[in-house]
Amino acid sequence: MLEIRNASLKLGDTQLFRDLSFSVDCGQVVCITGDSGSGKTTMLRAILGFLPLDDGVISVDGEIINSMSAETFRRRMMYVPQELSLPFDTVEEMVQLPFTLKNNRYVKFSYERMMDEWKKLDLDASFYKSSVAKVSGGQRQRMMIAVCGLLHKPILLTDEPTSALDETHARLVVRYFRELASKGTIVVAVSHDKTFSSLCDKIICLNNGNN
Amino acid sequence: MGTIDISLWSLVIGLLLLAFPIYFFRLYKVKLVVSTLVAALRMVIQLFFIGLYLKYLFIWNNPWINLLWVIIMVIVASFTATHRTGIKRSVLFIPVSVGFLATAMVVGLYFLLFVLHLDNPFSAQYFIPIMGILMGNMLSVNVIAVNTYFGDLQREHQMYYYLLGNGATRFEATAPFVRQAMMKAFSPCVANMAVMGIVSLPGTMIGQILGGSAPGIAIKYQMMIIIITFTASMLSLMITIILSSRYSFDEYGKLRNIMRKHK
Repeated sequence: MLEIRNASLKLGDTQLFRDLSFSVDCGQVVCITGDSGSGKTTMLRAILGFLPLDDGVISVDGEIINSMSAETFRRRMMYVPQELSLPFDTVEEMVQLPFTLKNNRYVKFSYERMMDEWKKLDLDASFYKSSVAKVSGGQRQRMMIAVCGLLHKPILLTDEPTSALDETHARLVVRYFRELASKGTIVVAVSHDKTFSSLCDKIICLNNGNN
Repeated sequence: MGTIDISLWSLVIGLLLLAFPIYFFRLYKVKLVVSTLVAALRMVIQLFFIGLYLKYLFIWNNPWINLLWVIIMVIVASFTATHRTGIKRSVLFIPVSVGFLATAMVVGLYFLLFVLHLDNPFSAQYFIPIMGILMGNMLSVNVIAVNTYFGDLQREHQMYYYLLGNGATRFEATAPFVRQAMMKAFSPCVANMAVMGIVSLPGTMIGQILGGSAPGIAIKYQMMIIIITFTASMLSLMITIILSSRYSFDEYGKLRNIMRKHK
């Protein structure tokens, strides 16, 4: 279980969120939503252990995420940022990148399994050998979401996973997240997409310091 | 046969050759005439001073003074390196200084003790020029590599956070940037090594031959100088990157604002 308890964070003069508490159980898809600048992405970064809270704690299965434990916790996480743009020439290099990490070597990359995941997200196999420059932002994001299906780690954090997608593909992504959740993954997505958030198990709304 | 000395009058005759590039600068209205003349004048003055104090360093031949000279060179090189990058001095100065000093001493003494088999590795005749050549090469390679490493980290920070967020260690998350920095900084060195002696005769060899050494000895020194400068450049860069991580990332692995503000 991922738990955020009494979390408060101020950036500069702006109170992003105050005394925020919520929990996400295994198998749940949660959407963090709110206006631009309300701290959605910042909350995601705090869960990833990239920055400390002013107050409160974030814990996974009762263990608190802090500067000492962040790297250990991130081994159990998958992260797909917004408008992902990795400096690779080919899609093949890009999707294989996470599998080169020492902590991810428990999963051997398999082209066939990758293509199975791609089919679920309506991605054509012909993209695999193509140049990254020829692939759209939405397609890149779906490719890296598909990578999460192979890595199959306990927590998936994603920022605006459907911002570059039409409604059809956005629903495919939600369905994909539900499939990951059904296998025990906690999915936390930042999104201002109302269609996306309406299909999630829980919506956490950040409202400029008032949660 | 010893080295032929160049008199002051002969130096002036040699400097007159600058008239050719200056003529073409003026012909094409290239705004480098004044800076060339100033640079040449500075070079003459600086080298005269260097010649003067090297003369006394060689006369005294005191290991502590020689070591002090190396430390002064390290400090000047470190200031120069940090000035030429866009990075805050508070982030880079100590790592660069430690990298330069430690590497120059380790690689330099390795060469002097185990390759040249000198009884006194701090002898000015060998210690000073070897340390000087190591310092010069480390400086130029480090500036290119450090600029590339930190510049790419700032620009492609999404890649860094993506890797961290998917379970990478700090080493793995920074590895692509270190890789790119090494490619940019060392590719010219490797290319230069490959054509050494074919495209041009390198400086150390020329200096030695002009000084009266047999070509057979000069080429061996040249080979070794290339190897030790290449090795020292790599080691000093690694020390700089490892030590500067303390100042460039916070305890959460987040990149700090390390760029110097330009006026």
